Amino acid sequence: MAQLVGPLRKELADSLSSCRVLVVGAGGIGCELLKNLVLTGFKNIEVIDLDTIDVSNLNRQFLFQKKHVGKSKAQVAKESVLRFCPSANITAYHDSIMNPDYNVEFFRNFQLVMNALDNRAARNHVNRMCLAADIPLIESGTAGYLGQVTVIKKGQTECYECQPKPTQKTFPGCTIRNTPSEPIHCIVWAKYLFNQLFGEEDADQEVSPDTADPEVAWNPADAAARATASNKDGDIKRVSTKEWARSTGYDPVKLFNKLFKDDIMYLLTMDKLWKKRKAPLPLDWTEIHQLGVFGYIENYVKTLRSQLIEKGEGAELVWDKDDPPAMDFVTAAANLRMNVFSMNMKSRFDVKSMAGNIIPAIATTNAVIAGLIVLEALKTLNSDFDQCRTIFLNKQPNPRKKLLVPCALDPPNPNCFVCASKPEVTVKLNVHKTIVQALQDKILKEKLGMVAPDVQIEDGKGTILISSEEGETEANNNKFLSDFGIRNGSRLQADDFLQDYTLLVNLIHSEELEKDVEFEVVGDAPDKAPAPNVPEEGKNIANGNKDSAQPSTSSKAAEDDDVLIVDSDEEPSSSTMETSPESSNRKRKHHDADTDDAASKRKRLDQQPADDDEDIIALD
Amino acid sequence: MIDTIEKEDNIISEEEAAQYDRQIRLWGLDAQKRLRGSRVLLVGLRGLGAEVAKNLILAGVKGLTLLDHEQVTEESRRAQFLIPVDADGQNQAQASLERAQLLNPMVEVKVDTDAVESKPDDFFFQFDAVCLTRCSKDLMVRVDQLCASRNIKVFCGDVYGYHGYMFSDLGQEHHYVEEKPKVVKGSNEANDGPEAKKRKVDPNETTMVKKTISFCSLKEALEVDWTNEKAKSSLKRTPADYFLLQVLLKFRTDKGCDPQPDSFAEDSQLLLQIRDDVLETMGLSSELLPNTFVSYCFSEMAPVCAVVGGVLGQELVKALSQRDAPHRNFFFFDGLKGSGVVDNFGSK
Repeated sequence: MAQLVGPLRKELADSLSSCRVLVVGAGGIGCELLKNLVLTGFKNIEVIDLDTIDVSNLNRQFLFQKKHVGKSKAQVAKESVLRFCPSANITAYHDSIMNPDYNVEFFRNFQLVMNALDNRAARNHVNRMCLAADIPLIESGTAGYLGQVTVIKKGQTECYECQPKPTQKTFPGCTIRNTPSEPIHCIVWAKYLFNQLFGEEDADQEVSPDTADPEVAWNPADAAARATASNKDGDIKRVSTKEWARSTGYDPVKLFNKLFKDDIMYLLTMDKLWKKRKAPLPLDWTEIHQLGVFGYIENYVKTLRSQLIEKGEGAELVWDKDDPPAMDFVTAAANLRMNVFSMNMKSRFDVKSMAGNIIPAIATTNAVIAGLIVLEALKTLNSDFDQCRTIFLNKQPNPRKKLLVPCALDPPNPNCFVCASKPEVTVKLNVHKTIVQALQDKILKEKLGMVAPDVQIEDGKGTILISSEEGETEANNNKFLSDFGIRNGSRLQADDFLQDYTLLVNLIHSEELEKDVEFEVVGDAPDKAPAPNVPEEGKNIANGNKDSAQPSTSSKAAEDDDVLIVDSDEEPSSSTMETSPESSNRKRKHHDADTDDAASKRKRLDQQPADDDEDIIALD
Repeated sequence: MIDTIEKEDNIISEEEAAQYDRQIRLWGLDAQKRLRGSRVLLVGLRGLGAEVAKNLILAGVKGLTLLDHEQVTEESRRAQFLIPVDADGQNQAQASLERAQLLNPMVEVKVDTDAVESKPDDFFFQFDAVCLTRCSKDLMVRVDQLCASRNIKVFCGDVYGYHGYMFSDLGQEHHYVEEKPKVVKGSNEANDGPEAKKRKVDPNETTMVKKTISFCSLKEALEVDWTNEKAKSSLKRTPADYFLLQVLLKFRTDKGCDPQPDSFAEDSQLLLQIRDDVLETMGLSSELLPNTFVSYCFSEMAPVCAVVGGVLGQELVKALSQRDAPHRNFFFFDGLKGSGVVDNFGSK
């Protein structure tokens, strides 16, 4: 008969006390997970988190108290755990897991890695490190009432990147600039405005009317005349918005008149836009204060201007939802614009959700998921991978009464661009218009998850295009790909040595990409535009970088997430199930939770992308 | 502008707004207010109890009374995270108090060291909800009968090794609201003319729908008659955990405690015997609960406490805030399979 140590069989209990595990993240899931691990009997735990504690964490990250606000999460978590389990051997790192110090050798120290993350970039990275080190990884995520856990084991299961995931939703420029129809469009516009006036100016974040809007469809003569006219009116084109604002001394009346009166009147001349839409109504400065608090936008402009001046010459502000004047400004500007476009205005509370990509979060969902993580962990220690499952936590039981739905794990995708033996990917772009910097930052890093890519051209000469060593290939950054002889059918070899990852990139030259689209990865999941009635949108619990204000993950969307699976008692893997594409899509969602913490609270590391705000990771 | 919600109502302080922000964004301010006015009794402060305590305190109830007459032992201390390492010999609830209070200073956390069996009826009436862990079947049935008729929400839960359950009785008429998206009226097709200029409805608008749901008593839920045809035909879809619960409750009554790892051999035998007795009394086959169950129902698995405590905690929050459809009326969790089912026993 089996010998028990508490609830566990003796062999299991023994292996627990000797094994070493890594917990990546000490937030909502992380706190619960650390507690479960030590109470279960794990003794050697390392935990890493780059973040510091915020008061909004305290409703669920129970290892932290009010007095800890501002301190390192990993450090305080360790101290709190030691208080109820002094014999635990815990090492805490206040650092980013993407720091090259945490190389494959580091990962090999552990028998198991558990993610408790809230952003895709880090998940992709840890996925690759665990593949490289051949260590099992337990992946998880939560958002609101929903959650998910899964197990990743090289060669046996899908890796985190085997299935393409929907990328963050972005709105076309003309929607933001000309024809907003939803509050979120106005909020995105307001964030762009903030950057144009006070922050880092971005050519992709224009706020003035978009004369190149295809819907406008002016005849050429007309277009030329209008182009000249716009040059006269406040010089939309030639002078940057920031320069213009500065030239007026950030005069609130002038700013207001341009943005909410003159520009709107200009839009009205683009009459094709308003044939089937309600036309915008320009605002008058004298009426503005009737709009309540939003009418006091001049105060926020004043405050932000002072902040800028304080920072000195050439300074830029970074938008932070927790910085009151920044948040106030965006709320006011967005609401004024909503008013112009006849939309119901939104409270500051609601605007903050949408602008800050806040994902609602509670203790109980994280508690359940962290419990499931440890149960899966116990199976991995025994190498019982065939017992491991993906488990979904729903808000309501499915028709088969299941609130927790275990599903068999899928085998690896043989064509996975990460874990296949010789990974390959095909990218469509315009070789004459894409610069090397964009290839590095937007394609290899942002889209394809590399941290420090080295790229050479497969041209027989092994020409080096990008070097991860700082400064070595800087001269190449602003050159076009075609300058290097790259054309349709060219191949690049991209390496990330930290991730031990080599990717062959096939390039297809195209001059017919959609407007605002710089490149396309062939075979990707198409970006789903939200259908008006479908709960699908709830599944794509917003993904995305804070910078581009994403549709908020409101709980309303999430509530529709019933996982309807036609199944037997034990869920077979999704690929063998008879499900409609829609419901199988639902099943495939990963739950990632966002971090809405401002960049300023992060420990800044050179390796971090500059705008490394945590995305709202959708449980997709 | 201050980032508080509806400050003119003066019902929520800035401190609460800041701390509860992420949950208010999920279940709304109304729900938070109701939580803030609720008093809860929690009986039993072992692994599951500690999890429920944490979840309720973090959620922001008005008051939580921790009731436990037992003393801290090395085993009980290792099972939960609220009791300090030097507390052996102290009362379990008392030892948990300090850490529990620190989780959220805005909640009134109290301690009661009496045995729950000794409490008079009216003791329970001061609470809006009662959560019973590690209690005998008889006591749970008694408290359930007392409370449900007074609109006091009753919850029971336990963890046995890898298995756990939760039961709820929210009374004959539990009222709650659900948030549903507003139906977008009007055609989506663009057409010329005045219709086209209609204001677009905000797709994010929602509406609150009122609902009522009815629960049966614990007694009815546990005394299902399996001999009739209807019950027999539903057996196939009935989770074995229901019968496991019956066995474990009987063990607790007969032996006065739960199966102990220290007396594994003896308790295993007793469990098998009780299984035979219980199923026979119900007119059912022992095969419904194969022998293997015995290895996995000793002590409390911490991760199982976390899962059951999470679901139970959230059900308490739902019931107190009267928001969202409650699970009716059992939740069973099998930590070996990772399956969690909601099932309804006892209603006509």
